[in-house]
Amino acid sequence: MMEVTLPAPDRTLDTSGRLCPYPIVETARAMKALPPGAVLCVVATDPGIATDMPMWCKATRNEHLGTFQVGASWKSWVRKRVPA
Amino acid sequence: MTVSARKAIAMISGGLDSTLALALVKQQGIEVKAVNFYTGFCITETQRRKGGRPDGTVPQNEALRAAADLEVDIEYVDVSEAGYLDLIVNPRYGYGSNANPCIDCRIFMMTKAREIMEREGAAFVFTGEVLGQRPKSQKRDALRAVEKASGLQGRLVRPLSARLLEPTIPEREGILDRSRLLDIHGRSRQRQIRLARELGIVEWPQPAGGCCYLTDESFSRKFFDILDAREVAGEERRIRKEDIVLLSTGRHFRLSKGAKLVVGRSESENAILDSYGEGRARLMARDLSGPVALVEGTPTWEERQLAARIVARYGKGRTLQRVEVEWSEDGVVEVLEVEPESDETRIESLRI
Repeated sequence: MMEVTLPAPDRTLDTSGRLCPYPIVETARAMKALPPGAVLCVVATDPGIATDMPMWCKATRNEHLGTFQVGASWKSWVRKRVPA
Repeated sequence: MTVSARKAIAMISGGLDSTLALALVKQQGIEVKAVNFYTGFCITETQRRKGGRPDGTVPQNEALRAAADLEVDIEYVDVSEAGYLDLIVNPRYGYGSNANPCIDCRIFMMTKAREIMEREGAAFVFTGEVLGQRPKSQKRDALRAVEKASGLQGRLVRPLSARLLEPTIPEREGILDRSRLLDIHGRSRQRQIRLARELGIVEWPQPAGGCCYLTDESFSRKFFDILDAREVAGEERRIRKEDIVLLSTGRHFRLSKGAKLVVGRSESENAILDSYGEGRARLMARDLSGPVALVEGTPTWEERQLAARIVARYGKGRTLQRVEVEWSEDGVVEVLEVEPESDETRIESLRI
């Protein structure tokens, strides 16, 4: 499993049952409250997260560590940007 | 917060025009924050939720893609709430050819964008609007009216048509170099496509525009039907948040002034309808695969039979003599044994 190489998240956000674009909206909100460098794990049931999360990370310059399907849901690891 | 001369708010859909506007402003060294408004009426977003287009492809979120391509920060603004829903039922500037109150909707969104501009300390707001591209909302007068009503006078830039419009404050102050903005006009997209190539923008959604259900004729019929039905029933003429999903899901049949039937067209639509069962009757053929359907309102006995016959007609038992349809309401299940409706003309006459 790829998952074992990922860091333990500082926070896990469960967006199960919410449809796109809410998982991203909630991710943005949760990231605001985290310190730079912190890792957020987002759980979603909407498969849109697989394409949305990497794009959102690229747009907002946060680091996308990976998004994986786990059973019926998706898990996405994101590291908050550290200002240069 | 102090106003940063070098910051702007972009209103983007992710279409070609707003992507180009984004590139043009960013090219001038201005920090851009993109905003995308979620109204609930986006056709692409709804297709994504239902597992993709009829041809099997799953559309991506274009606003996100555009922001990612150009590495611009993006914020979603969810406006699918009462304030917006009341506005689309009572638009001050009226509707376009369907249920699209484009001018009111723009004023609403631009007012929100102005609030974000003030909050972020940005100097201006810009859009991908092109003068004369749309018959109603992109005429010169309409562009001006929208700018004024949203409180963005002089601070709303349309980079693609800027040189055809009066200079805005950021242009007059030299924040934006007017000579590097464009003078595109009308419906042709040749110049935009050429510019996209020059700027190295390789991807944009096709076809352009028309992502809003409110501009869709068949959706509009359902939209006005539900408002009329509520008025007849003595209720307020209002759209509720849950209506947005239901109006874009399934086949809709008006059984009578007081009752309506919605029949799922796919597994994903059946799942959506299942989650809206509360306060409605749920119909499904017993022991046969077929659609999930909901009945709203207060049907008579005949209308209940008719609803069950239509549900039977859209299931695997359509060729059978008798089909048992389960009618579940408030935790009580009743079985209606009916003959599947075979009169297609009648079915069509009920379709909204």
